[in-house]
Amino acid sequence: MLLSRLATVFAAVTLCRAQISEYFDEKLTVTPLKDGKVASTLAFTTLLKNASPRNVERLHDDDDSQHYTLFPLALGQILREYGVTEMHLTLNAGKWNYDSWGHPVEPGVGTGAELWAWIGDGALSTVDARWKGLRNALAGLFCSSLGALDELRTTSPTEVFQPEGSLPSSTPHQLRHASHPSEHVCTENLTPFVKLLPCKASAGLATLLNPHRLFDANWHGMGVHVLWHEDEGVEVRLTFQTVSDPLRNYQARKQDWSFESLFGRKVERACPAARSSIVEVSLPQDSPYNLSPEPTLAEKDVAWFDIQPASKPVDISMSYMPDFNPGLAARLAKPSTPLSVQRTLKESSQAHGQLSVVLKNHESYPIQAVYLETMPWIVQFYLHTLTATLDGHPYTSAFSNLSYIPAVPHSRPSTFHVLLSIPANSTLKVTMDVTKAFLRYTEHPPDAQRGWDLPPAIIAPLNLDTNRMYTPTLLVDLATPDFSMPYNVIIFTCTLLAFLFGNVFNLLTRKFVVVSLKPAPSSTIKED
Amino acid sequence: MLPLTLFHLFLGLSVSLLGAFASDHQEETVKGFFGRNGTSQSTHTNNWAVLVCTSRYWFNYRHMSNALSMYRTVKRLGIPDSNIILMLADDASCNARNKFPGSVYANPGRHLDLYGENVEVDYRGYEVTVENLIRVLTGRVEPSVPRSKRLLTDEHSNIFVYMAGHGGNEFLKFQDNEEISAFDIADAFEQMYQKKRYNEIFFMVDTCQANSLYSKLYSPNILATGSSQVGENSYSHSSDKDLGVAVIDAYTHYVLELMEGINKTSQSTMQDLFSSIDPNKINSHPGVRSDLFRRPLDKTLITDFFGGVSQIEVVDDEEGVEEEAGLVGGNGKDSVSSTAPAQASFAIPERRASHSKRHIEPVSNTSTTSEAKELWGWVGSSTRAWGAVALFGGLVGWVRMRS
Repeated sequence: MLLSRLATVFAAVTLCRAQISEYFDEKLTVTPLKDGKVASTLAFTTLLKNASPRNVERLHDDDDSQHYTLFPLALGQILREYGVTEMHLTLNAGKWNYDSWGHPVEPGVGTGAELWAWIGDGALSTVDARWKGLRNALAGLFCSSLGALDELRTTSPTEVFQPEGSLPSSTPHQLRHASHPSEHVCTENLTPFVKLLPCKASAGLATLLNPHRLFDANWHGMGVHVLWHEDEGVEVRLTFQTVSDPLRNYQARKQDWSFESLFGRKVERACPAARSSIVEVSLPQDSPYNLSPEPTLAEKDVAWFDIQPASKPVDISMSYMPDFNPGLAARLAKPSTPLSVQRTLKESSQAHGQLSVVLKNHESYPIQAVYLETMPWIVQFYLHTLTATLDGHPYTSAFSNLSYIPAVPHSRPSTFHVLLSIPANSTLKVTMDVTKAFLRYTEHPPDAQRGWDLPPAIIAPLNLDTNRMYTPTLLVDLATPDFSMPYNVIIFTCTLLAFLFGNVFNLLTRKFVVVSLKPAPSSTIKED
Repeated sequence: MLPLTLFHLFLGLSVSLLGAFASDHQEETVKGFFGRNGTSQSTHTNNWAVLVCTSRYWFNYRHMSNALSMYRTVKRLGIPDSNIILMLADDASCNARNKFPGSVYANPGRHLDLYGENVEVDYRGYEVTVENLIRVLTGRVEPSVPRSKRLLTDEHSNIFVYMAGHGGNEFLKFQDNEEISAFDIADAFEQMYQKKRYNEIFFMVDTCQANSLYSKLYSPNILATGSSQVGENSYSHSSDKDLGVAVIDAYTHYVLELMEGINKTSQSTMQDLFSSIDPNKINSHPGVRSDLFRRPLDKTLITDFFGGVSQIEVVDDEEGVEEEAGLVGGNGKDSVSSTAPAQASFAIPERRASHSKRHIEPVSNTSTTSEAKELWGWVGSSTRAWGAVALFGGLVGWVRMRS
């Protein structure tokens, strides 16, 4: 009886263990853009099959031991420690130009650091405590100051940041989103990123991660995305996107590119741990070109290369016949995105300003888009001044479903969420007056005269199949005090007090007397 | 009844005395183990480094380059990233003004890239503050601070603390809006001494009037050096025409030049380091404070602080005999590192042969008195231990049989 029970338990355990398997895929997508630049996206996906997020109700118990071979252990430990189901971290530098470059392969292109996570509720520790732990753990893992994404920058915009994977239905989940637009990204963020890959940077497409060329690109950003697919398992996707400019050198006339010119490297070896290693190249439609080597599979507008069986070293290159003509390219191409957005902050004084957003609809049908603003408390909205004009004329039916969580000074940012309807082929301008805060002396950063970066606004179209768009960040100039004043006040006050006290003390205690000096008689002087 | 208790008391005393003898022998063995590393008498078991650049802005490129030079040196000489706390107050490498992104150079002509492809910066940007530095040094960090940002030293750790930036008489400026004073640093080191967080500290400062920054230290086992005396400035070395800023400070430049010629097995001493800096070339007079440091400077190796060189003794599993496989320093053989496994394996069979000989004739091979004493001590201690156990067992058996 006991033996048969043990046998069934043993069989079940081995079967379960046998079903957990890991797959690693890598993919590079290269797209020539209409203004002569080249966008490339490297995506490294590790799938832990049949795994599921940790049960948050048992978070205080010891965890089951996790055995990974390809799945990054450092990241897995952090996620299980804090009961995180879905997490997205992006570190970007530059301004993504939607009008010229279209929509990126990975939608998270907000400048600076952006971290959002769906965290399970119901454990003994609160979601906020675990959010803080997650931020600091990721800050330590990726060498970035994500600890600064505290409650001064954290919001919960659940309608815009819906989970990209599935959430376990047994526990409720909460969203936490924070962004830090002035965060830099550099080689120290890429070093731990590369260490999470099975083949590191020595084999496969990861050899193209050359920091000297990646951080020289016009736009670059890295992303870490963790999702759970209910029927698949836990997926970790590490991405690195760049927009490089082959025409940057003034002698270059053609927008030719190759691995050597984009990354400074070729793929020397295939990664043996990778299940698939694919390069996808978008083919230009309007000018003759030459693509080498021969693609594995080619269609009208896309070509695929399978790296693993290819002869090494692999250097995919595209050369164009005619020179690049920027005027012609601009005339021939349609607007890259259905919606164009521009956001500005007009500041005429150090106390007030006006936020202005201009949305252009290039399509022939109306667009419904959610506009989300997570503004730090230093800039506060006057909601009653929210107005909309359409092609210059006042337009009253632009807004619906307005939801506003006001800012709490020194502690919480404001969340402004409105559904905009933009009619076909028209320009909608939305303006709102803002007031700027007067900060406490200790709240100013060391380089206070630079100003504060405001996080990007997010536009999520509802009736289009495109993903969310990010506006560029803004720089707001707040009133700065004279930082030498405390020193001046202390010196002046101490001088005054010393002067007053000294005079009064002398007047009260000092007495002037006349001392007469008699010559001393020499006979009474004795030597000892 | 009384004779029985007296006898038990006598037994207890004898066993404890034997135990004391045994631990004395262990102390001698440990001292002898550490003393085998050539001329160094250091008793540290691990190395840590805290490298701080306190200046912000592009024109202070050279301070970031200073800290990164020391980072490169300690990493090259064996301290792993997990034992290095690197604090850079600004981002010079991926700065928008940097014509060569991803690189920080140490000399004009750009021959040496200090950033490379494998760098981990623990505290960066606004996180480099006086409070964070003191918290890191004293270990009083918040529970949420991740492991890579903590200084997890113990009482056998040698710590190399390097600070570069703008400073003055008994202060160092952090990020243009706050200062750390020499008293703060002295108190932080004293807290570390009280909490047994270091074995020895080497404190190096490259700022204007740097020698004043270590003038207030009062804890033992600290060796300090600065780049200029009170009233003197420390100067930058040279600037690069394409970058447009000064790329390194003069003092750190000459330190780096000396360090580039040193590897893990080097027997160069701290005295060599201090003597190699020429005050005429750097236009300031460096100072050294060694009154708190108990070892002589010409016996203290540079790798005691800058390198992660460990004493290793290989123990043979089959016989349980300690083999003298001193693979580090002293006798000129390469240290156990990723670069020289082949040489290590050549060394071991040699020693095994000599040891097997020694094992057959234990008494005649022992030439030096210390080796003889050690062998006698080992033999004596095991005999004594077993004797005590047998005596105690016999006594208990006799008592049981009587009652």
